[in-house]
Amino acid sequence: MMKTFKVLAALLTYPTVEIKEAVEDFLPALKEEGLVPAPFQKRLQALITEYRERDLLDLQERYVLLFDRTRSLSLHLFEHVHGESRDRGQAMVDLKAMYEDKGLTISSTELPDFLPLFLEYLSILSQTEALELLGEPAHVIAAIGERLIKRGSSYAAVLEALGHLSGPADEKVKEALLKEPDDDPEDLEALDAAWEAEQVSFGPGTPDEGCPKASDMLSKMLTDIPPQGEAKPEETTSNGGTKNG
Amino acid sequence: MSHLLDRLNFFSKTKAPYADGHGITTSEDRRWEDGYRKRWQHDKIVRSTHGVNCTGSCSWKVYVKGGIVTWETQQTDYPRTRPDLPNHEPRGCSRGASYSWYIYSANRVKYPLIRSRLVRLWRKARETMEPVAAWKSIVEDQAKRDSYTKIRGHGGFIRAAWDEVTEIIAASNAYTAKKYGPDRVIGFSPIPAMSMVSYAAGSRYLSLLGGTCMSFYDWYCDLPPASPMTWGEQTDVPESADWYNAGFLMLWGSNVPQTRTPDAHFYTEARYRGAKSVVVSPDYSEAAKFSDMWLHPKQGTDAALAMAMGHVILREYHLDRQAEYFEEYARKYSDMPMLVRLVEKDGHFIPERLLRASEFKDNLGEKENAEWKTVAFDELSEKIVVPNGTIGSRWSEKGKWNLEEKETDGNDTKLKLTNILDGDHDTVVDVAFPYFGNREHDYFKGTDHPDTLIRRVPARNVKLAKGGVLVASVYDLFMANYGLDRGLGGENIASDYSENEPYTPAWAEQITGTPADQIITVAREFADNAEKTNGKSMVILGAGLNHWYHMDMNYRGIINLLIMCGCIGQSGGGWSHYVGQEKLRPQTGWQPLAFALDWARPPRHQNSTSFFYAHSDQWRYETLDVDEILSPTAPEGEMSGSLIDFNVRAERMGWLPSAPQLKTNPLEVAKAARDAGKEPKDYVVDGLKSGDLKLSCHDPDDPANWPRNMFVWRSNILGSSGKGHEYFLKHLLGTEHGVQGKDLGEMGHKKPEDVVWHDEAPEGKLDLVVTLDFRMSTTCVYSDIVLPTATWYEKNDLNTSDMHPFIHPLSAAVDPVWESKSDWEIYKAIAKKFSEIAPEVLGEEEDVVMTPILHDTPGEIAQPMDVQDWKTGDVEPIPGKTMAQISVVKRDYPNLYKRFTALGPLMENVGNGGKGIAWKTKEEVEHLKELNGVVTEEGPTKGMAKIESDIDATEVILMLAPETNGEVAVKAWEALEEFTGREHAHLALPKEDEKIRYRDVVAQPRKIISSPTWSGIESEKVCYNAGYTNVHELIPWRTLTGRQQLYQDHLWMRAFGEGFCVYRPPIDTKAVKPMLDRAEGQEHVVLNFITPHQKWGIHSTYTDNLLMLTLSRGGPIVWMSEVDAVKAGLVDNDWVEAFNSNGALVARVVVSQRMKEGTLFMYHAQEKIVNVPGSPITGQRGGIHNSVTRAILKPTHMIGGYAQQSYGFNYYGTVGSNRDEFVIVRKLADVDWLDGEKDRLHPDDMEAAE
Repeated sequence: MMKTFKVLAALLTYPTVEIKEAVEDFLPALKEEGLVPAPFQKRLQALITEYRERDLLDLQERYVLLFDRTRSLSLHLFEHVHGESRDRGQAMVDLKAMYEDKGLTISSTELPDFLPLFLEYLSILSQTEALELLGEPAHVIAAIGERLIKRGSSYAAVLEALGHLSGPADEKVKEALLKEPDDDPEDLEALDAAWEAEQVSFGPGTPDEGCPKASDMLSKMLTDIPPQGEAKPEETTSNGGTKNG
Repeated sequence: MSHLLDRLNFFSKTKAPYADGHGITTSEDRRWEDGYRKRWQHDKIVRSTHGVNCTGSCSWKVYVKGGIVTWETQQTDYPRTRPDLPNHEPRGCSRGASYSWYIYSANRVKYPLIRSRLVRLWRKARETMEPVAAWKSIVEDQAKRDSYTKIRGHGGFIRAAWDEVTEIIAASNAYTAKKYGPDRVIGFSPIPAMSMVSYAAGSRYLSLLGGTCMSFYDWYCDLPPASPMTWGEQTDVPESADWYNAGFLMLWGSNVPQTRTPDAHFYTEARYRGAKSVVVSPDYSEAAKFSDMWLHPKQGTDAALAMAMGHVILREYHLDRQAEYFEEYARKYSDMPMLVRLVEKDGHFIPERLLRASEFKDNLGEKENAEWKTVAFDELSEKIVVPNGTIGSRWSEKGKWNLEEKETDGNDTKLKLTNILDGDHDTVVDVAFPYFGNREHDYFKGTDHPDTLIRRVPARNVKLAKGGVLVASVYDLFMANYGLDRGLGGENIASDYSENEPYTPAWAEQITGTPADQIITVAREFADNAEKTNGKSMVILGAGLNHWYHMDMNYRGIINLLIMCGCIGQSGGGWSHYVGQEKLRPQTGWQPLAFALDWARPPRHQNSTSFFYAHSDQWRYETLDVDEILSPTAPEGEMSGSLIDFNVRAERMGWLPSAPQLKTNPLEVAKAARDAGKEPKDYVVDGLKSGDLKLSCHDPDDPANWPRNMFVWRSNILGSSGKGHEYFLKHLLGTEHGVQGKDLGEMGHKKPEDVVWHDEAPEGKLDLVVTLDFRMSTTCVYSDIVLPTATWYEKNDLNTSDMHPFIHPLSAAVDPVWESKSDWEIYKAIAKKFSEIAPEVLGEEEDVVMTPILHDTPGEIAQPMDVQDWKTGDVEPIPGKTMAQISVVKRDYPNLYKRFTALGPLMENVGNGGKGIAWKTKEEVEHLKELNGVVTEEGPTKGMAKIESDIDATEVILMLAPETNGEVAVKAWEALEEFTGREHAHLALPKEDEKIRYRDVVAQPRKIISSPTWSGIESEKVCYNAGYTNVHELIPWRTLTGRQQLYQDHLWMRAFGEGFCVYRPPIDTKAVKPMLDRAEGQEHVVLNFITPHQKWGIHSTYTDNLLMLTLSRGGPIVWMSEVDAVKAGLVDNDWVEAFNSNGALVARVVVSQRMKEGTLFMYHAQEKIVNVPGSPITGQRGGIHNSVTRAILKPTHMIGGYAQQSYGFNYYGTVGSNRDEFVIVRKLADVDWLDGEKDRLHPDDMEAAE
């Protein structure tokens, strides 16, 4: 089990007495596994210090305001990937099936796309598998991280560490995500853009791209359909949401 | 030679072209279709619907895959209607189709939330104290209390465990009950019809506690008081399918395609069938495009338009020619033949009370209730008779309460409508009618007619037991009121439509701006169709008319049209008011569950408008003087004081309810009475007389009289429905607010007479605000505790509507996600915790409950003649007669949970009923024991039917209601037969064996069974239409005369000039003038602030849903005409600030040519939580539509103890109107998002605030 992912998951979970007490073990665990480079570990120190020094209720209050009440910082990955799209339900179904493939059933009240839960899943995979899978929502992680940096939040360090592990995000997609208005927006131009009357498009794609799922499906059709008359019984892959970010 | 071997016998060539070469079969690979198939795969489909505040009541298929809700689509399996009538489906709209978004949305309330400051105090106190003591230590320490109440609305929540939050709530409730009284615990939840078990969960808890359930229909201003006035009926309307049967369909202030989307197809279909349609709407609304003619009067002047149409119809169909159908209808079904006393005032006559049998020698032979029997001339006997069906007959001798053309002696009658003919009248007298259309208003044009319009009326002398009196029929006065020249001479009348006299079309054109010829055309065609079809002319009317201060005039103007054309009670005709009522079809089955009538009666009910007016201290800022609305024809007598004085008097006389009721804790009153050796009833009466006991209403600002705990569920009361939002924030919650105006004290204005004035107004009356919701609404943001409730796809419940006759369920597609629970489970958990901790301070207690005089009870005939206030010493305080009824209710606090989860003994011992009739329910209780099982554990509920789960609760409703249990329906009709002396059970007998169960409605929506609770019938032959059984079964309306009452004779109705319908311009709220200097030197425009129902949400629900935000402009917007935009130097999409002395709001402006000049629309309702910047005026975050409003009460809505004008929960009472308000609109130069100080509790919490 890779503790790195467990540590990062714990830091993104609602602060509890248990986490507060365990927080001293976090940095040593990261050091031991060495997945997160030292400079990133150092940046995590601020959050860990806060855990150590600050009152639990204050930590909880901050967490609720940031992650429970601010849509643009939601730790539910599909909030950013699918948003209000109907694809979201199916995507969660697929994700759950992926966990079940590894013999894991969700026993908490959380949804399959909750980032800490996802990280816990990664912790039981092989390192290669885990890092590859983490790469899929890289743009979401990067976008949340960037918003947290803008707010000067110590939580940004966790997302940065994850960002490093996941490898570079697809800039285009990340930019598109960041274009979505922030909940407490300072950037009036972004807000104006969001309000501008334009072609309705649900999901994270840019308006002229249309529905990303649909275009994805189309491209699959084009590649999957064998030439006429030579149908192969090859399994078509599911259109699960995780692939389409 | 055979071709047998040459041709194919079993095959044909696939590739051969066919259809003359136009068709060809191909065989490409089709696996690409699998993508789509997978997309629509699912594990199961569950039937549910959308909960609280939409009348749609559409059945939906909710798709579940892997335990996750993936999407929803419309159900299409409603039972068929009948040949020649379109089916109901498809029902649904874009709002419902986007609902599943909420379940997993980031906006979802996922965990119980509590203010961290409060929980910190609590945990500290709990270390050493028991729960109630811990709560006491917090709220009795001013600094501690302030520390969490003053930051309401500024974040600071943490997640907490269910066990802890329920304990805090229970402790707070127990403390409040012990210290101040359980009636200081109030709960607000609206519209039970749309999820009745959820509503009942909270109200059952409150009722067992002795807490107060708050009304909603009146507060929302969706209650049209004209309906109880005219029919004694809260609201009863045709189902939408009946639009199809109309020949002439008028939409008046209603926008069907936008706000009744799932029903709109019947409107389209009616048009295809050939119905003519007129739309009356100041703006070019979505409905306007359906119309043959679009009338766009100035907003708020609809009564003038209706009166002018009435003028035309009366002239052409009643006077110059008498349409036979109309005349017969008026005689049988309206009060037009009844006689009205005329009395002298200022040298002419004014119409007074309806004449009563009791005024004659020997009471005209009436033995009982003669004071409540109105009289008329009979053409057959040429005598004055007491016709069957008056309210006096309802509550005395059995079998005379019907609309047969008979007098109570049994003789046939033909009541006389008019005394116009020579020989029929003794004299013609000058009668004065009030005219308000000349009152000055900065923004509404009037005419210069005099205050009183003197008109000639034929009258007769009638000999009474003591002396005589001059009388006229309602009919003759009604004609005079419309200004019709009947050849009797005199002034203020017209024989030609072009004369400028109230209420001619030419006169109306000046007021409304609608051309007279259009008014005449519409009136004629409306009546012409009604005459040819026996009443198939219909008016669909809505909030656009009802939200004005003088809504009664708009409504009664239209009701008059419908009654003069015989449209009420006829399929395809009538009065279709579809605002907020959302019919709770199995009402009588639901009430015992909801108000715990199985355990204790009566429950505590409160009319919210008067309550919030008093307790958010909006009365302290009152600008409307009673003199401004009093009639020039007001009878002699004291009508002084301010609006709250009138309300206090109404409470004192038992007209309206009070909450709290007594300054003394009602749990102490019974004890004190026993100690004094008195019956509690006598003790209270003596105490009130001597002044030892005080009614709370006299001093709403005394801390002993504050409400202390408030539950809000299924509602966004502080957001979408808090008229006077800023006053709520200031006084009820005690947090930051944007109130701009000064109170009466600061202004040096006259103070109320009957209410104690405190120079220092209280800020923060509530100790605890608890809200149950699935989304973080504005109300949640201001609450101390937010409880995560199940969404509409996560619970089991029932749903009915007035729009269609089916009952269908909400059912749990998935379990509630995160830590949410259904409302039923949440209140059960609170009840359980409460029972655990109650013994710390409470045991079995006696609670003294005061109830106003209630409609549809024998007590409703309480105060027949004059208004007599016991406080003045004119009469004795007699409970239930001259003051509120007083009862003692036994509470068992430690067993509250057990009572909550079992059906109590009163159903078996006393029975059930509604609308004045009662029946036994012993058998149903036995059935429920078999169905739900019985409580097996020892204790006071052992052996009783269980109500453990939400499904158990639905079965209680379904089993007890006549609408869903045929046996009960038959019993109920038989109970009514006792009153009417006529046979009615045939309406339900064919369905006697039908019993609808929860699982039945899950399988398919079921049509309900006809029940005497309602005035229409469910049949295979006609659509549901209100008033149908009155007209066709001759069941009287539940009014004084038993008929549709066009003349309102209560003293206060006459004093305020509304005996007959008249035109009254909007009131002047005076909220703009004091603020004009704030816009000095800046381009601005003053506009009438209108809040119609919207397209992108149902009130505030869905307005935080990104799909719907995308379809609108995505944040707060207001609509304005191009002309007004130019005046204020605005272009489309500018940020604007709209403000007046009530507060301010900020929004983007939509400039549109469809808007009427002079109006500003802000669609109801947009949330404070979505994209709202700061307002320079208040320095606060933007404000919402309610920030610029303040509730203003109307005295005529306070009347009680008087037949149909008696109180009923959500039936009668003051209403929260808000359309008379004006705002100053100007461009917002700098948009400031207030990323700020206030939201930040700790300096190092920068990130959270930004």
